[in-house]
Amino acid sequence: MEEEQYQTKQTPITNETLDSITQSKHEAMLSRLSNLHQSRLLQQSLTRNSSDSNSSFESTKSFLTNFSESKTSIESQLHLCRNPDSSKPTLKSDLNNISTSITDLERFVAENSYFLPSYEVRASLKTISDLKETLEIANSELLPKKKFSFKNKSVVKKEMSNAEPVVRVCDSVVAEKHSVQVRDSLGFRNEEGVVLVKHFGGAKEGDFTLSDLNGCEVRITGCFRALYIHRLKDCRVFVGPVLGSILIEEVEGCLFVLASHQIRIHHAKGTDFYLRVRSRPIVEDCNGVRFAPYVLDYEGIERDLKESSLDEETGNWENVDDFKWLRAVQSPNWSILPEEERVSGVNISSSEALSIDC
Amino acid sequence: MGLLSIIRKIKKKEKEMRILMVGLDNSGKTTIVLRINGEDTSVISPTLGFNIKTISYQKYTLNIWDVGGQRTIRSYWRNYFEQTDGLIWVVDSSDVRRLDDCKMELDNLLKEERLSGASLLILANKQDIQGALTPKEIAEVLNLDSMDRTRHWKIVGCSAYTGDGLLDGFDWLVQDIASRIYVLD
Ligand SMILES: Nc1nc2c(ncn2[C@@H]2O[C@H](COP(=O)(O)OP(=O)(O)OP(=O)(O)O)[C@@H](O)[C@H]2O)c(=O)[nH]1
Ligand SMILES: [Mg+2]
Repeated sequence: MEEEQYQTKQTPITNETLDSITQSKHEAMLSRLSNLHQSRLLQQSLTRNSSDSNSSFESTKSFLTNFSESKTSIESQLHLCRNPDSSKPTLKSDLNNISTSITDLERFVAENSYFLPSYEVRASLKTISDLKETLEIANSELLPKKKFSFKNKSVVKKEMSNAEPVVRVCDSVVAEKHSVQVRDSLGFRNEEGVVLVKHFGGAKEGDFTLSDLNGCEVRITGCFRALYIHRLKDCRVFVGPVLGSILIEEVEGCLFVLASHQIRIHHAKGTDFYLRVRSRPIVEDCNGVRFAPYVLDYEGIERDLKESSLDEETGNWENVDDFKWLRAVQSPNWSILPEEERVSGVNISSSEALSIDC
Repeated sequence: MGLLSIIRKIKKKEKEMRILMVGLDNSGKTTIVLRINGEDTSVISPTLGFNIKTISYQKYTLNIWDVGGQRTIRSYWRNYFEQTDGLIWVVDSSDVRRLDDCKMELDNLLKEERLSGASLLILANKQDIQGALTPKEIAEVLNLDSMDRTRHWKIVGCSAYTGDGLLDGFDWLVQDIASRIYVLD
């Protein structure tokens, strides 16, 4: 990936240079590969018992080492700059260098964030945010105001001076209801105590909404593109494969059996989720939610799952990320549903039900 | 020589543009970036932090910052405002219920001093979904016409799924930034 970025940065790539770039890229790659190989060998000989040399653990460790080294170095540079005795002429460029180092560190986090545990990503972001803040303060304290007078000029109708960025904690929270009347999408809304059935006929089209349901049972078969769920209480919801994503907000005391490429769960309480999902499910502002693998069955589900590339069990149902949990230990907001409490399977193919056509 | 013209010089040499991509979670930001870069989009997790993509686009190098949109991490958006040339606001056109949320977050963003010079591209994404609102409808709900006169903006319907509309949007954005930054001096 790094490699690619270098290449795209070379401004004019002519045919002649391309060859030499490819060549040197190739050589660089070979030498990195052989280095990697060497260090792997070394590692292997160090840890005879390869059982604990989990590679993602290793790379997390080396990420953390690198990260904290850079962090320490940036902090000490910042400290030097703020030392009152040092009214150095290089102050400005020093601060600029620090800014560059922070950006580099940020890039480093971004490049590694795909394998890092969520806690590490959040913690690193926080660190970077803090470093930037310290730098900003140092900038405004140490550098002559001149810089800002320029800034004032370049920006129209600026009233605040170099004040710190205003955090707008939803100052317009009383959001006006949108005045424009928009049509609603397909869905089941405002029902109580009924069984709701919907079948999608293979076209893989459209989205569907479930909202404001109380004590209902919902059965949806076939593939479709997106599912939005909002304000459900004491419901049981069984859904065939969703090609895109499912967004769930404000549910309580429910049971969901869902398959999708992405699942986001916000503000859920006391609810069980039986999931098959291609990426990591995420929860935010939830508590008492539990997870188990997908158990749905109906006639033709294999074909539907396959068509939506959800035929393989990825094991992601238990790789839940809690956006509200900053620590490395297990979040108290969710857990794995104990096997003896799981429902064994749900078949919705031939059950009689009130069918609502929509 | 003023600082601004120095910055222009530097940028001109590198022909680099910094683009910030934000919007509510689930709107399709990461999918759009990967699609435009020709990468595999079959497994994408909700973004926990942010991604940076450096891609060549026409004769420019775009530095695209794709920042996660989950509510908890929206407060980090402001870390990325500095030096933004272009702002892309992505909307899930089939998520009608959260359009209020979407409008509120966009309005807050546009009040941000540090983004006041940035060109704004609004991508009305997921147009492939039957029942998605049209760009025109989205523009009405977001009340785009009442935006500050000085802002350069455009709304484009697109689908990260099929790729439709993405190039139209990016073409406009890159041209608009280029005409502001590189032609001036
Ligand atoms: N049908 C359809 N689905 C889309 C489209 N774009 C994205 N999606 C789906 O929408 C879901 C969310 O996409 P992401 O790219 O992860 O969204 P994001 O904006 O990056 O979300 P956060 O990282 O949480 O802020 C995924 O399941 C995508 O497959 C589109 O144009 N059409
Ligand atoms: Mg994302």
